[in-house]
Amino acid sequence: MTGPRQKLLWALAAALTLALPWLISDRYIQHLLVMSLIFVIFASSWNLLTGYAGQLNLGHAAFFGIGAYTSALLALKLGVPPWIGLFLGGFLAAGSGFVLGIPSLRLSGPYLAITTIGFAEILRLVAMNWVSLTRGSLGLYGVPPLPGFFGIQFTTELTFYYVALAGAALALFCFRRLTRSEFGLSLQAMREDEQGAESIGVSTNRFKLTVFTVSAFFGGFSGALLAHYQRLISPDLLSLHETFQALTMTIIGGLGTLTGPVIGAVLLTFLSEGLRFVEDVVKIDVRLIIYGALLVVTILFMRGGIVGLWERLRAGRGQDTEER
Amino acid sequence: MKLLETQKVSKYFGGLCALKDVDLSLNQGEVMGLIGPNGAGKTTLINIISGAYHPSEGKVIYDGRNISRLKAHQINVLGVARTFQVVRIFKRLTVLENVLTAMVDRGREGPWKLVWGSFFRRACAFNQDAAACATAEGLLASVGLLRYRDEQAENLPYAMTKRLEIARALATRPKLLLLDEPSSGLNPAEQNEQIKIIRQINQQGVTILIIEHVMKVIMDISHRLIVLHYGEKIAEGAPQEVYRDPLVVEAYLGGEAHA
Repeated sequence: MTGPRQKLLWALAAALTLALPWLISDRYIQHLLVMSLIFVIFASSWNLLTGYAGQLNLGHAAFFGIGAYTSALLALKLGVPPWIGLFLGGFLAAGSGFVLGIPSLRLSGPYLAITTIGFAEILRLVAMNWVSLTRGSLGLYGVPPLPGFFGIQFTTELTFYYVALAGAALALFCFRRLTRSEFGLSLQAMREDEQGAESIGVSTNRFKLTVFTVSAFFGGFSGALLAHYQRLISPDLLSLHETFQALTMTIIGGLGTLTGPVIGAVLLTFLSEGLRFVEDVVKIDVRLIIYGALLVVTILFMRGGIVGLWERLRAGRGQDTEER
Repeated sequence: MKLLETQKVSKYFGGLCALKDVDLSLNQGEVMGLIGPNGAGKTTLINIISGAYHPSEGKVIYDGRNISRLKAHQINVLGVARTFQVVRIFKRLTVLENVLTAMVDRGREGPWKLVWGSFFRRACAFNQDAAACATAEGLLASVGLLRYRDEQAENLPYAMTKRLEIARALATRPKLLLLDEPSSGLNPAEQNEQIKIIRQINQQGVTILIIEHVMKVIMDISHRLIVLHYGEKIAEGAPQEVYRDPLVVEAYLGGEAHA
């Protein structure tokens, strides 16, 4: 698998990713690239919890919002450096992830989904109504940018791209390690069959709390990243829409795979922006309709999403050559 | 030496009495057969020993320790492994991964330690860890599954899934193995293969408690038999004696034999 050709391809892909914002000078496209990267982290963190551990969490936006508000408020009210805030946002989200993990010890599937929706919705209402702290639906504006160093300012799309890229690379490295280790195998065992996992010594309760915490950390981290990029955050970050964004990206890309949410996040970020132009013409909200249709098609006809389809095609080709 | 003992174990589901005062004692190295008509409480008993249920009354003593209140995963760590009547393999993992997952040292490694370990390990993936893979392959070979090593478990033929469950249970290095109908649904050739595998496991020193409806299998491999009927123990002893016990015949064939 890791032949010299493979290595060359990886090196080329890495070089292209690094050079991308220089090749595309359009700031709008650069903005979309940054958003894709932030959603790569967010969708991947949801994927760890739902795709690998099998815990259907529909309140993932809570972690996104907690990360964003924590880092933004710390910077605005207490002057905490945003670089530290990014991680504090992650840690506070992780703490709330642990709390949200507690109902998962008793509930699963749709019941857990409803509970987690409730959790995020409560937080959204708090953010809407605690006006003295969050400015309610007006949102927090003027969130400080990430401080620059060596004369580089992280206020433009071009420079922030590299921050987001570093964040996404770090997160993906962690997810790769986590999912392929004993930890990841135990999570997947739990997803496949809880009683079976218990019978080989997996303490499913402790694993659920752990994976909720870890996943929430990265969810919060991605939210904090967004806060210091957009520099304007609103309670919309905590809405069900954001969760479904992660869900759609992951399922279309490939649930329970590492590359799935990456492909999905890039694809859907660009697709939804492209559809915005269509909306201007047809004057109806076609974005959600197309999202829904894509989701249905994926679930009905290509379980495993784009990654699954790719693997099936490759396996099919392999068989052909064997037959010859 | 006694490895496992149940003392007056009873289990009620609401008003229904599934087990009533069941005493059972297993010696180290023994193969004990557990038989009885449908609904006799055999699986309930295995569920209680393995910690899936807690007994309503009575105690389960394993290796000199009361395990009645422990959870399933804790009991497994102490050295009790099991298989299920309806197989519970990890379908979307490979055959090798099914066994590898069971090999993690759960006694010492909680989830947070495993999270930490993900980043400080030579092999970046557990399924590429040479030592672990070699052990797992050995286990697969012992149940004749090595050629399916990289197959998704869901693609295995039914008989092979039964064997995979046994290999997975063995990977936790148990002293006591609970087998819930390991040869149900198998054809005669596969049954013979299963008998061979179970015997081999026993010869390696593993104590076995086995539920089985296939008489040939149970008579062949058990040293002793226990018969449950409506949640009560009605007979116990060497297979040939139990086979002729009038109470047992009545339980299986109805009251006519007695009348």
